[in-house]
Amino acid sequence: MSARDEVLQESETYDAATVERRASRRDRWLTSTTFLALFALWFAVTGSGLWQPLIRPIFLPSPGAVLQAFLSLAQHGYQGNSLWHHIGVSFYRFAVAFSACVVIGVPLGLLIGANRTVRALLEPPIQAIRPIPKLALLPLFLIWFGIGNTSKIIIIAAPVFPLMVIAAMQAVRSVSDKKIQAAQSLGASRWTVFSRVILPACLPGIFTGIRMSISIGVTMLVAAELTATSDGIAWMSLTAAEFLSTDVVLVGVVIMAVMGFGLDRAIRALELRIVHWSGRD
Amino acid sequence: MSIEPIDLNSPERRRDAKLMIEGLSKTYGGGADAVQALPPIDLCIGLGDFLCVVGPSGCGKSTLLNIVAGFEPPTSGRAVLDGRVITRPGAERGVVFQQGALFNWLTTLENVAFGPRARGIPAAEARTSAQEMLEMVGLGSFAQKYPYQLSGGMQQRVGIARALVNNPEVLLMDEPFAALDQQTRELLQEEVRRIWQETGKTVMWITHSIEEALFLATHIIVMSARPGRIKAAYRSHFSENPDPLVGATAEFTAARREIVGLLREESQKARLQEELA
Ligand SMILES: Nc1ncnc2c1ncn2[C@@H]1O[C@H](COP(=O)(O)OP(=O)(O)OP(=O)(O)O)[C@@H](O)[C@H]1O
Ligand SMILES: [Mg+2]
Repeated sequence: MSARDEVLQESETYDAATVERRASRRDRWLTSTTFLALFALWFAVTGSGLWQPLIRPIFLPSPGAVLQAFLSLAQHGYQGNSLWHHIGVSFYRFAVAFSACVVIGVPLGLLIGANRTVRALLEPPIQAIRPIPKLALLPLFLIWFGIGNTSKIIIIAAPVFPLMVIAAMQAVRSVSDKKIQAAQSLGASRWTVFSRVILPACLPGIFTGIRMSISIGVTMLVAAELTATSDGIAWMSLTAAEFLSTDVVLVGVVIMAVMGFGLDRAIRALELRIVHWSGRD
Repeated sequence: MSIEPIDLNSPERRRDAKLMIEGLSKTYGGGADAVQALPPIDLCIGLGDFLCVVGPSGCGKSTLLNIVAGFEPPTSGRAVLDGRVITRPGAERGVVFQQGALFNWLTTLENVAFGPRARGIPAAEARTSAQEMLEMVGLGSFAQKYPYQLSGGMQQRVGIARALVNNPEVLLMDEPFAALDQQTRELLQEEVRRIWQETGKTVMWITHSIEEALFLATHIIVMSARPGRIKAAYRSHFSENPDPLVGATAEFTAARREIVGLLREESQKARLQEELA
């Protein structure tokens, strides 16, 4: 438990390990309560076959119906492709776009942050691109990159990329001068200062940037599968909506939510392992 | 009395100077917002001198040290170490910061080994000398801990070990113990004194504590309110006294009274300046 956690909450014992263990058990319990309550509400308002639904299934199908739709999709697929194909193709588009943004955007941001010349050259254009609503570029991307996966990957990357660059750049700007000066006074070359001080000091900020971009990336996945495709999990939801198959829509939504949540957890786990010093300066 | 006024720019001192500060001044900003932090000052620091700098807050002590460290360029004049003008940071000038300059992502040992590694010493050798240095500051068994797992006093000792392991010619310390409690500070002062006596390093040490200055220094300068001229300079002999309780002697008290008197005047001036600004 960190000091921040206790700002609005008191704890009675002082044995750190006990406090931490109790607190995290309690946290888990509270979290599952929230989820259970939401689920129960969903169960209740849709009737679930036990009583008259408050909301008609065409607007909100019951959990059971959604589960059934999922099982049926898993068995028979959707519009000529298996459910796994739809999930796989969406994941592929997302993963390629996202990893390209991390692999190119982060080093670029670090470079912009650490080098004045590169900053003068590249920061203004990136800041200028940032406020453009990327969805407006969708037709343009379709014209430029065709209707294949390339245009989908690019539309997902379009808003994520500048965010990645800016997160890395900000992280460099906020490295304390003292740490850099300390390294210089110990005889570190410019490269050593960059690789051994600036880079590790930036990792917490970079991880935050990555995690914040996930939801934007998933949102853009939906946009990418809006037109000019015939597979993908978002496409499945979008076409199902045209036939008012709300249960299928919800299956797609849940799958995308699980994907985003799982990715966030995975990166969080990685973050805890790598940047163990985060917030303890 | 065991302190006596001294001319730090006498011909002999100039001849034997290790570190020479010549007409060094610093003005921050320009135009109407310009702040003169340091007027042109001259100062000679000899080999093995332990120079303590005291002065009211905001008088330009850190500015002086940062220029000598090579972190900032002077507006005029220069700082010269062994005949070479200082223009950038370098391993021959070890710096110990007040706090927050340790590398959190490295263990204590890796922090201390950073300098040797950066200077191209093989990893095994760097680790050995880092471990030895940690033992010298009494942290041998904390080698594998991270800085955030250490107390403030331990962190400062790591900072000192990290600077010392590089075997710098000059040690620059900007209020290294300011954030520590009295007991820890006194303990560390004794340690620094022992290390200084063993290694004979040239030291420039900024402090707000007159006791600390008297206890550690061979030379003390008292700076005036901003812009910080050198108001008085002393040769001090208390650091040569092996008695850790030298602070309880009548001479020490008299010396302390003299410097406190000077400082009080300047602090009042500094306060007045701030109110007028
Ligand atoms: N980077 C800067 N830009 C502008 N003004 C500065 C800068 N650094 C210091 N100053 C000003 O220069 C003056 C001297 O600052 P300095 O930090 O050297 O004082 P100091 O003697 O170390 O004070 P303290 O004892 O409080 O640490 C102050 O008035 C301060 O406001
Ligand atoms: Mg200062």
